[in-house]
Amino acid sequence: MSSPNGSVPASNRRLETFTYDDQIVKWFVIATVIWGAVALLLGVTVAFQLADWRVNLGLPWTTFGRLRPLHTNAAIFAFCGNAIFAGIYYSHQRLLKARLFNDVLSRVHFWGWQFIIILAAITLPLGMTTGKEYAELEWPIDILITLIWVVFAVNFFGTIVRRRERHIYVAIWFYIATIITVAVLHIVNSVELPVTLTKSYSLYSGVQDALVQWWYGHNAVAFFLTTPFLGLMYYFVPKAANRPVYSYRLSIIHFWSLVFIYIWAGPHHLLYTTLPEWAQTLGMVFSVALWMPSWGGMINGLMTLRGVWDKVRTEPGLRFMATSLTFYGMSTFEGPLLSIKSVNSIAHFTDWIPGHVHSGTIGWNYMLIAGILFYLVPKLWNTELYSKRLANIQFWLATIGLLFYVISMLVAGITQSLMWRAMDDAGRLIYPNFIETVIKIVPMYWVRAIGGTLVLISFILMIINLYRTAKKGKSGPEAVYEAYALDDYSLEAGAAAHRKLEGWPMIFAVLSLIAILVGSAIEIVPSLMSDNYITKISAIKPYSPLELYGRDVYIREGCYLCHSQTVRAIPHEVIRYGKASEAAEFVYDHPFQWGSKRTGPDLARVGKKYPHMWHYKHFYDPREVTAGSIMPNYKWLFDKKIDYSTLPKKMAVMKQLGVPYTDEEVVTSVVNAKAQAVEIAGELAQSGVPQKIVEMEVVALISYMQRLGVDYTSMPEEEAPIAEAEVK
Amino acid sequence: MKQAALSHFDLPWLPITALIIFVVCFAAYLYWTFKKDNKANYEQASQIPLEEAKSVSSIKKGHTV
Repeated sequence: MSSPNGSVPASNRRLETFTYDDQIVKWFVIATVIWGAVALLLGVTVAFQLADWRVNLGLPWTTFGRLRPLHTNAAIFAFCGNAIFAGIYYSHQRLLKARLFNDVLSRVHFWGWQFIIILAAITLPLGMTTGKEYAELEWPIDILITLIWVVFAVNFFGTIVRRRERHIYVAIWFYIATIITVAVLHIVNSVELPVTLTKSYSLYSGVQDALVQWWYGHNAVAFFLTTPFLGLMYYFVPKAANRPVYSYRLSIIHFWSLVFIYIWAGPHHLLYTTLPEWAQTLGMVFSVALWMPSWGGMINGLMTLRGVWDKVRTEPGLRFMATSLTFYGMSTFEGPLLSIKSVNSIAHFTDWIPGHVHSGTIGWNYMLIAGILFYLVPKLWNTELYSKRLANIQFWLATIGLLFYVISMLVAGITQSLMWRAMDDAGRLIYPNFIETVIKIVPMYWVRAIGGTLVLISFILMIINLYRTAKKGKSGPEAVYEAYALDDYSLEAGAAAHRKLEGWPMIFAVLSLIAILVGSAIEIVPSLMSDNYITKISAIKPYSPLELYGRDVYIREGCYLCHSQTVRAIPHEVIRYGKASEAAEFVYDHPFQWGSKRTGPDLARVGKKYPHMWHYKHFYDPREVTAGSIMPNYKWLFDKKIDYSTLPKKMAVMKQLGVPYTDEEVVTSVVNAKAQAVEIAGELAQSGVPQKIVEMEVVALISYMQRLGVDYTSMPEEEAPIAEAEVK
Repeated sequence: MKQAALSHFDLPWLPITALIIFVVCFAAYLYWTFKKDNKANYEQASQIPLEEAKSVSSIKKGHTV
């Protein structure tokens, strides 16, 4: 932007020449398409696994529970992450008229991020997981993520310091908010105590852990999949349309409202749980309030296209951008709707939620990334797009595939939820067997898998198109640009307060940090005050050593991805599962395992519901005891021996975290675990199971399953806390 | 359920504090943003993505300016 101070003669200003580092942008573009294909391939694989359990292949590392976290991490952090970095590095340089701060940092950032992705791709299928959704990576990788994020931040802010443009354009504000908030979220949620190099326990437990996790989980969507993409939208949509943004003023309102409000919405993932009611209500109210800034942003983006709608028909990049904004509008309408408690009671734990999530990640993120790539690749490789026709086919395949996905999951979710709650006149469940509600929606799983396949094919077409484009391009000499140095001449006399603020990046960053910390601090209050509102129940005891081991197997196999462990205080749930869950039940759960989806039934009250033999058969082949089950076999648990040597360390770490194990219990953990294993194996032997099973992991898992909810359901009524008494 | 939610709402000062902060901040930046004398500045700012730095020449790869 030229100086508004028109009276200053150009001869008094220092003209500087510089180049852009587009090589790093190219690398991130290439990484985006590679990891995007991997993420979608994994998504299609897990979709087919839900439609037909045999697609799990019977191998530990190809089973749904291990591949699903890999799919989500690949989609969010590998595909979207690389796209964010490509888009930010391209636009940041041009908006500031400056080369990236340091070429070495750029390369460390690139290779460091790819190394993290590769580590995730190795560790997650091996079952190395923290058991917290979207934050599954273990502690050494968490530290590496922090370091690489700092490298990114230094490179980003260093470029701002060296800029030649006084005003910091709105896209960069969104980038600043992203960098700061993701750092806060990642660090706070990843505080854990290591047991080994590949195993750790969360510092938080039960309700605390649930709140911190979903504060993180929701804002991973907000500040990894939304704010950076809004920043990219504010740069690339005007560029592609060759028009300024519809309303710069609206973008300012959009930014501050979104950054302030978004951070509060996390508790809508925990409605009707044992989270304090006030925190739930707060989460719901702020989620509904999100409608305003979200739609403000969408309208601003779409209205930028006014006057160029004819180009939307002919230019694939613009078409993808317009569609992405439309899906952004739809998913940000659906999100607040799902946060309303009465709607949430129907939708939560059902397939409606993955449907909603994918309308965002495919409709908003993938479509916008495609639009950006169709803009970027021809620019970076100095050529024209290889084929508009191919891009159009890609567009329709992606759109139709996404509609298949979203509609099938909406139908599946509502169908299943209505079946869960259906009761006859006598107050009995019409579908008391959970499996009935699963079998009913399996056809929808097939539709979803077909929809996902169409999206994958569309992505492959994009790769072909972009590859051909780059291949015919020329990597000519690096262009040299010139712009005036950032000097006092660019200062605006009499500028308003917010206008001045827009030229002070560090103060701006601090204010953004405060904006997100206000909501975060208030949301974290329930965690800090948990001793005040959770009345400990003496009947709730810590897990035995074998049960603790079994719990780690449960986490390793990703059981929480299909089974919840919290009974909501809703009549049909209490009738189906048993007493509603209490906060005090989870005080020793590091991490909590409430889950977010019920592909299978809730397990909070499964302890002692079935004999050991039932579980034994169920893990070997679920269809032996539940006809029509879509759960995979877990036959390797019958061959893999329990590693008792890790137990004293696990117990000691739990003790450090506040679980009241005595020193003696830690020392005798191996002996006690073996004794309990012998007891379980003895009962199994009566049904003809060979005695060697006593050494196998399935016994530990059975011990954990048999413990779930037992302390609480078996205690006398008078010991149960009264709801009102729980809150002081 | 609504009554139950309200009966458990035992920390009203927290959301009220947040509400006040939000309303004050929102009003402040609404005022600054929509002040008439800022219009020209914002129109200029919205042009930033469209104003490319001037390309003067090109250099071979590996050379720095």
